[in-house]
Amino acid sequence: MANALGGAKETLGEELLYDRSARTRWRLGFDKWIGRLLPLLFIVAILPILDLVYYVASNALPTLTWTILTSTNPYAPDALGVPIISTAEMMTAATLVAVVLGLFGGVATAEFLSDRTAAIVRTSANMLVGTPSVVLGYMGYFLFCVRFGWGLTFIAGAFTLAFFMTPYIFRIADLAFTSIPRHIREAALGSGARPYQYVVRVGAPIAFPQILNGVFLAMAIGVGETAPIVLTTTASKVLPTGAFSPVSFLTATIWENFSQPSGSPEIALAFQAALLVVIVVVGLNVIVRIISARYQRRLEGLFQ
Amino acid sequence: MSGTLPDAGGPVISVQHLSVKARARAILDDINLDFGRSSLTAVIGPSGCGKTTFVRTLNRMAELTPGLTVEGSVLYLGQNIYDTQVNPVMVRRRIGMVFQRPTVFPTSVFENAAFGLRLIHEDEDTIDKRVTEGLQQAGLWEEVKDDLDRAALSLSGGQQQRLCIARALSVQPKVILLDEPCSALDPAATQRVEATMEFLKQNYVLILVTHNVGQAARVSDRIAVLSSGRLIEVGATADVLERPQQAFTEQFITGRFT
Repeated sequence: MANALGGAKETLGEELLYDRSARTRWRLGFDKWIGRLLPLLFIVAILPILDLVYYVASNALPTLTWTILTSTNPYAPDALGVPIISTAEMMTAATLVAVVLGLFGGVATAEFLSDRTAAIVRTSANMLVGTPSVVLGYMGYFLFCVRFGWGLTFIAGAFTLAFFMTPYIFRIADLAFTSIPRHIREAALGSGARPYQYVVRVGAPIAFPQILNGVFLAMAIGVGETAPIVLTTTASKVLPTGAFSPVSFLTATIWENFSQPSGSPEIALAFQAALLVVIVVVGLNVIVRIISARYQRRLEGLFQ
Repeated sequence: MSGTLPDAGGPVISVQHLSVKARARAILDDINLDFGRSSLTAVIGPSGCGKTTFVRTLNRMAELTPGLTVEGSVLYLGQNIYDTQVNPVMVRRRIGMVFQRPTVFPTSVFENAAFGLRLIHEDEDTIDKRVTEGLQQAGLWEEVKDDLDRAALSLSGGQQQRLCIARALSVQPKVILLDEPCSALDPAATQRVEATMEFLKQNYVLILVTHNVGQAARVSDRIAVLSSGRLIEVGATADVLERPQQAFTEQFITGRFT
């Protein structure tokens, strides 16, 4: 067989081949099998979650009726209408407080505080994120219910929940602003923007999708919390009538009913509440995914 | 817009005994340099000689880098911009800047060009007029006039850089600082930006930082050579390039600097 280089040996180029030693064969085989194993490991990781969803759904769905989801009749105790609406109201109030605190804190830390002060604030926020919810719930109870004298009420629960959610929003707002490329910030300031004009006109539109993600993630975390709620509110069979009224919450409903004997309507109600919480949490996470995907398309080319 | 000047024939910018330190290390050492109207001065020198820091001191951008301290004075039309009474935001509105990389914002072409005008709450008619003028002067108008609402990030690198120039021009500054505006551009885009600079120098004070001697030769009237934070030589472009007074300058422009 002739080859392109004329007189050279026909084995020329063989040095490009893998050698046939046992070690090389083993390594190639390992790469191949690891590649197949990883998807398998993903399934192993997700199985318990699917099993949990199946367990909750199979206990919740057989007895679930439209009336259970919508009835707010206080004399028909086996219904979720009151907890569902109360949860929505609590989450709205808590999210509003958390967004205001987290957003202002995050922007101030990223743009206006000195490096040293910012570091202290960031460390504090990280500590809050790491604090167990029972401890935060107790702190909320001590501060709002006892010190402020608000008692076990809607407003005490909403504020405690807000304090639980704030550090998540804070961290994402801080990150969203600090990750804006430095040359974009300098271009805005170099065009004569005051620092707050940079934040409002340039920073905010870039950071907004990320911050929105943070808000939804914080809501997903907050709606699944139990301890901050049961420590700072009194359960109620009726809708809250004001800031200082007792209030129910979906996770608190699970907490109250789950200790009942198995097979009882209370247990079914706990499962139905749990199913709703799972759906809301998954739904919020799906929204986050969708926003992230859109965000990446819109800002393509900016973060090069 | 221009107002009455205290000394109509004097320099627009006068740098006097300017030194910059990063903590203990000197970055610029006792620079004295004037910039007259309708001129393009190229500031050249090897990497790390302080030329970028130098232009950033001229509109108080340097202080955005933590740890830098500026001494001496920079007079803009006779006013020292480092006086405690001076608002750095106002300095930056009169002395515009274009950066090494195109720095468009993720909005439309129009809104990018209008950015500086929105900051000072100009009315819509003025904004329309100035954006058009800015884009025309920056040599971008013909390419974008049919679709001013398209995303600025969809423009090519050279177009983005000319959009940044238009953004700087729209607020009608007297001085524009250009910090290696072509270093991220291909030769064709570089040529367009250089043509834009040649056109602009008739009406503005342009101060161009470049490490490209060829570019300085093509577009500048005057060259200032920096080395290790010192002003080595300054003079008309032809003089500096053909009859350099300093050995360093000769080494640098002939590429024998190591």
